[in-house]
Amino acid sequence: MLKSMKPSLLRIFWLARLTFLEAVRQRFFAFLIVLGAAMVLSSFAFRFLDFGHGELKFIADFGFGGLFFFGSILALVMTAQLLFAEMDNRTALTLLAKPVSRTEFLLGKFAGIWIVLGLFVFVLSTLLGVMLWGRWQELVILAEQTAKVAPQFSLEGVFSHALLQWFRLGVVTSMVLLISTIARTFLFAVVVGAMTIVAGQLQWLAQEALFKPAELNPFSHALLWLASRLLPNLQQFNIGDALALDPSAVATGAVSAAILSGGFYLIAYLFLASLTFQRREI
Amino acid sequence: MWHRATWLFAGTLLLGAGVYSESSWQKIRPSVPEIGRKEIEPSLGQGVLLGILGGLRNIIADGTWIRSYVYWEKKDRAACEALMRTACALDPRSRYFWENTGCVIGYDMAHWEIRRRGGYNKVTREIQDEIFKKYARHGLTVFEEGVKYTGGSPSLLISAGQLSEIKLKDSLLAAEYYRRAAESRGAPWFAYFLCAKSYWEGGKKVEAYLWYRKQYIEKLLPMEDGSPDDLNHLRYFEEELNVPFLQRIPRQKWEKKI
Repeated sequence: MLKSMKPSLLRIFWLARLTFLEAVRQRFFAFLIVLGAAMVLSSFAFRFLDFGHGELKFIADFGFGGLFFFGSILALVMTAQLLFAEMDNRTALTLLAKPVSRTEFLLGKFAGIWIVLGLFVFVLSTLLGVMLWGRWQELVILAEQTAKVAPQFSLEGVFSHALLQWFRLGVVTSMVLLISTIARTFLFAVVVGAMTIVAGQLQWLAQEALFKPAELNPFSHALLWLASRLLPNLQQFNIGDALALDPSAVATGAVSAAILSGGFYLIAYLFLASLTFQRREI
Repeated sequence: MWHRATWLFAGTLLLGAGVYSESSWQKIRPSVPEIGRKEIEPSLGQGVLLGILGGLRNIIADGTWIRSYVYWEKKDRAACEALMRTACALDPRSRYFWENTGCVIGYDMAHWEIRRRGGYNKVTREIQDEIFKKYARHGLTVFEEGVKYTGGSPSLLISAGQLSEIKLKDSLLAAEYYRRAAESRGAPWFAYFLCAKSYWEGGKKVEAYLWYRKQYIEKLLPMEDGSPDDLNHLRYFEEELNVPFLQRIPRQKWEKKI
């Protein structure tokens, strides 16, 4: 089976490679990675402004926030832009005239963008990890000298969070791809995509607020249940603080469960996107 | 037919992902104590939304805290409390937010209400006391919540004890808080004395002496300086209770003769 899939996988690989090269050459990517890095680095200087948080917590929160915020913008804008650019410049038509299926085209785009996002997450997480580790070493020595309890820190936790963020951005990318295959304009795709990300981040909150079975009729209950399953709960990928600074607070298998959940959503959205893309006029 | 089946399969796949996501969220939810609908509800419109979207919670908590001071200066009870509670909700592990929120509610807000009702000359002494007690109890619930989230911070317990003592005039309740502070990790040396003093003032003199004596022998005496101040307090208790000489704490080599 793998042998019969080999040509298809090869085409997806080449498309992903092209998308990756196109994406990393964009000024937008460079701009966001510089901005993200600046935010991570500046957290060290701003740590004195906080009110009684642990110093490491402040730096970590600032860094994870930058990763989340700029990563989301990158995934949203880059995905919509790369797909619409192919269609507006008619290069998609040229590509699809060759023996490349629409599903392969879409998967190639996704894979290329996801690798770029992986690079983004890796660079910022490494920077943040180095900063946190360096400061942690200093704080441990300081704690020894003053006979205080040293703060906890796990470098492994920083990279577990990076992996979670990569999957979160993968889910966002696949969602935006689905929206882009339906949308007629780039602006519509970006606006709806942004709203979907916000909705995904607040999905758990809506569930807690609205799911009061006693107050709902069965129809509303079923509708809410369905809506809350179709939209991913993106909040489950934001446990960086706990992973890096208090690993014991994270339940065993929680990270792998979140990754698996992200993986399922990613596959489901890509499958749906490929179905809608089949019907799209280019 | 094939086409419909594909769509059906895609829908089922998405629903399956949603159902699995629910179980994974149950595993992750306990490690994210920052967020709770109830706590952030009063100030959702104040820019806090950004904070719960992911990351940057500390920054948003700090901003919210600074903003709460604007309302503190205006003596706007509702807005000030809502923002302070939001800062606590966004960063519940920070003792600073809980301690100051509890103190502002417990000490300041009663004065604001008395002024709002016409001032100290207009509001009778009894009603003033009622107001002070109402806000002190409210402040204590904040401290209790903070103790839960900070893993039993002794500073918060001591603040709760002081509030009970100063505003509720309840020495025994204060003693309970000081005792919890003294028994928690990283307890300050003065927590033992505060606890014994409150029991003593609450009328439980024998209990105060016995508890203080036990703590002194087990924890304070082995300290580097032998805790001479605590021993002095214990000697006073022994005198007052007329404890027989042989039953008193043995005289220490370094102890001054009274």
